[in-house]
Amino acid sequence: MNRTYNFIRNTVFVWLTLMILGAFLLNIPRINILEHTARNLYFHVPMWFTMMAAVGVSAWHSVRYLGTGDMVRDIRALQAARIGTLFGVLGLLTGIFWSKFTWYVGTDVWWNFDPRQTMAAVQLLIYGAYFVLRSAFEDPVKRARIAGVYNVFAMVTVPFLLFVLPRQMASLHPGADGNPAFSDITAPVMRLVFYPAVIGFIGLFWVLYTQRVRLATLKHRLTSDPEL
Amino acid sequence: MAPIDRIQDAVQNAADSLAQAGQATAFDSIWAGSDIPTQAPSGLENVMLSNDKIFVVLVVVLIIWSGIMFMLWRNDNRISELERQVGDQSNDLL
Repeated sequence: MNRTYNFIRNTVFVWLTLMILGAFLLNIPRINILEHTARNLYFHVPMWFTMMAAVGVSAWHSVRYLGTGDMVRDIRALQAARIGTLFGVLGLLTGIFWSKFTWYVGTDVWWNFDPRQTMAAVQLLIYGAYFVLRSAFEDPVKRARIAGVYNVFAMVTVPFLLFVLPRQMASLHPGADGNPAFSDITAPVMRLVFYPAVIGFIGLFWVLYTQRVRLATLKHRLTSDPEL
Repeated sequence: MAPIDRIQDAVQNAADSLAQAGQATAFDSIWAGSDIPTQAPSGLENVMLSNDKIFVVLVVVLIIWSGIMFMLWRNDNRISELERQVGDQSNDLL
């Protein structure tokens, strides 16, 4: 089992290295406002895909915990939510920085309540509440059960906050009200890097997540406390 | 013409052709306050100074990424060592 793990991890390393090479070396169409920052597509957008994959994994393990009562499921749900939140924060910060030097250039605006950006921040707060909720319980079983229920609720809000609501309003993001969809505006050469980047960053999530699950499992064994 | 004048001429011509192509910016590769280089770019410089110096960024990113990969790899080894010490072979990683 460890050999399979090492193989996948090494594949992720090689894959992401190739992705970075492609992201910098392939020639892309220069378009107004964006110019070279269009390459941020390869880094900023996969953060959100990775976060969505992570909260999916997290909710899946919460559902399994509620079904089986197996503490390993609770450990996995928590660590997937932790790493998912990390990727969400990185996505938010990269988005703020990117917009400042493209659409908000010449203004002092860093944050303009772009609907998708605002909803993403709300989304991160909902997951912040998950961690706070966990810290409110001494008893690991009670904590796992109540946090598990909350975690399933939190995951259900994701598609509404990140897709349904932002598409009803004017936004800088593709696919929003009046904007062309991603598939209409993205050059084929960019998709060649973008889709592998999404897969690669989800792989990186998996490496980080597995490391923390292993550590939390060890801690659970040694101290009876699964929290890490 | 002295060699230094020839180089100055070549730099001026390059700057002019960039300006004609609408690509001249405040960030041209000759820094306004600096002396004009007395030797042509050589070796690695030929690569690193081309394409708006984007290869410099690529190398920086690759250095950072290799450091991150190294730490992830070492963490894995440390965790495996701990698992051996505790005698925990049952952990289903996948």
